[in-house]
Amino acid sequence: MKSSPIGLLVAVALGIFPAQSWAQAKAGKATVAGKAAATKDSEGVIDADASGSAASGDAAAAEAAPAAGDTPAEAAGEETGDTPTGSGLDDICKIDPAACPNLDMDKEAARPLKEQIFAVQQAYALRVRRFELQAGWSQSLNDQFVGHPAPVLALNYYITNVLAIGVNGQYYSPFNVDKDFNAQVRRAARVAVPLTEYQWGAALNFTYVPAYGKFAGFGDFIFHYDAYVVGGVGAMSVRPIAVIDPDNRNFQYEPKLAFNAGIGLRIFFNRWFAAVLEVRDYVFNDKLESLTSSKIPGNGPNGAGNPSTWYGETSLTNNVQAQLGAAIFIPFSFDYRLPK
Amino acid sequence: MTITKQKTTKRLVSVLAAALALFAFTERAEAQQILLTGPLAGAPAVRKLRQHRKARFEVAPAVSFSLLDEYQRTILVGARLNYHFTDWLAFGAWGAFGAAHIPTHLSEQIQEVNAQRRAEDAAVQAATGNPAFMQRATQLTAVNIGPDFTKQLGSMDWVVAPQLTAVPFRGKLALFQSIYLDTDLYFFGGPAFVGLTERKNCETCNGNFAMESRVAIAPTFGLGFTFYINKWSALGFEYRALPFAWNTGGIDTAGGGKDKKFPDNKITNDDRQFNFNQVLTVSWNIYLPFQYKTSE
Repeated sequence: MKSSPIGLLVAVALGIFPAQSWAQAKAGKATVAGKAAATKDSEGVIDADASGSAASGDAAAAEAAPAAGDTPAEAAGEETGDTPTGSGLDDICKIDPAACPNLDMDKEAARPLKEQIFAVQQAYALRVRRFELQAGWSQSLNDQFVGHPAPVLALNYYITNVLAIGVNGQYYSPFNVDKDFNAQVRRAARVAVPLTEYQWGAALNFTYVPAYGKFAGFGDFIFHYDAYVVGGVGAMSVRPIAVIDPDNRNFQYEPKLAFNAGIGLRIFFNRWFAAVLEVRDYVFNDKLESLTSSKIPGNGPNGAGNPSTWYGETSLTNNVQAQLGAAIFIPFSFDYRLPK
Repeated sequence: MTITKQKTTKRLVSVLAAALALFAFTERAEAQQILLTGPLAGAPAVRKLRQHRKARFEVAPAVSFSLLDEYQRTILVGARLNYHFTDWLAFGAWGAFGAAHIPTHLSEQIQEVNAQRRAEDAAVQAATGNPAFMQRATQLTAVNIGPDFTKQLGSMDWVVAPQLTAVPFRGKLALFQSIYLDTDLYFFGGPAFVGLTERKNCETCNGNFAMESRVAIAPTFGLGFTFYINKWSALGFEYRALPFAWNTGGIDTAGGGKDKKFPDNKITNDDRQFNFNQVLTVSWNIYLPFQYKTSE
């Protein structure tokens, strides 16, 4: 019986909670009604930027009206106060009947709206002075011999709204996959292809965000996205898979200097959570297994067991990885510098 | 009060509390209804929408590049033709021919080793006067590797793919905070007819590296982005999958053993391996008529 009051308190708390937090569903429809129409362009979506320049080129959009499911947070709090209410008009009419507005609503509805439009309004999610934590899974795109899937973690700090510095890392070691295709080629052509497996990768990166935009989906909801380029320098720990002389060769992982460059797309679900799709090329100088094996047994200078005889040519290797993951921006909230 | 009764009462109160909580949860969630009043009452969600696609033909010259090829890359040159019934639905076709076939590094390596072996064999044949001499490696690969390995590779010669396209997402893109483009994201799918050239089936395959053509029928699907440059043209980027089985290397990989997963020294249909063929396409889209319509 001791816990029953707690249960009742939870019930009461849950009863109170939604009344306050859920009252804004689809608020964009209602609260934008006054002047938020001005924030729409002719695709029915709100421009996204904080620069606030005037939009002469989007003049055609002046007649746009708000779309369903548009950004409620932008509209709420800023624009609800502009919509006159019936009681407010009544008060004016009582005080000064001459100033009482006499509007024909049908005529007003038919009148084209010629309000000022901003080409770019507030960016949906500001990045400046926020940390971005990314977690995801990546898959190699260009190695038909060995698959290199890996979990990925990244941490970025946005110095400006478009520029970030950060680190990322991948852990490949348990996930390398030597494909059946290799055995088929070796069997059919009696040609061995040197193979390499990866252990981990880590890099220091710079990220630049030159593009952002938004999509209206099925004419009902809007999602914001941005596209970025990323580049950096770091290391990859790699080793050959012994295929020429597996009886004598046992390679150890060695870190190699690795440069990387890539592009990414971030789709925002809200102002602090996004999905990330990224393609990045990690370039490093790989030491391949020697295609010839020594006939001399033992670990002598030219012996098959001597590691110096195991390596062959070096090759500039591209490890192109496609990454799918999620990003969390911290702190979760932020303030706009300007109201518009 | 006995312990059993106490427990029962405790459970009852807990269940009641949970039920109350659930009722509290749903009651307010369903109560929200927006009544739009004023000049915008009854107005459409979007006015003066630029309908880039509705009732327009799309002619899009395109270049496609194959991805993750084992033995040979293909560059396909062609075009996509679509008629957009609405702003979000189109029917059309993509057609292309294999303008260039480029062997991969693996194929070049195989051919390099192959040429070296054949040169060594020729030298021994000349020295010994035995024209039938073949070293062990040449004997073992006689069924699989011809005089020029790159000539026996399977190639994609042409593709015709009728397809249905849906455009559920449209929006815009700001580039460097100064260039603004209308964009859309579309998905498509349909059957594809693929003209292939691959190694001809043979029972006795030593020295027999003849090629033949056939048409493979496969599903095709993918997605693409369109970036509108002006009222009548756009840039397109598209990813397409074309999964089907074919013998890309012209080699014997299957057909023998209990489960037919071992070589049988013949080239048969079993040697066609499933490939998730993929291409990336870049296109320049032209829309006819040149002027788009706008919504009310």
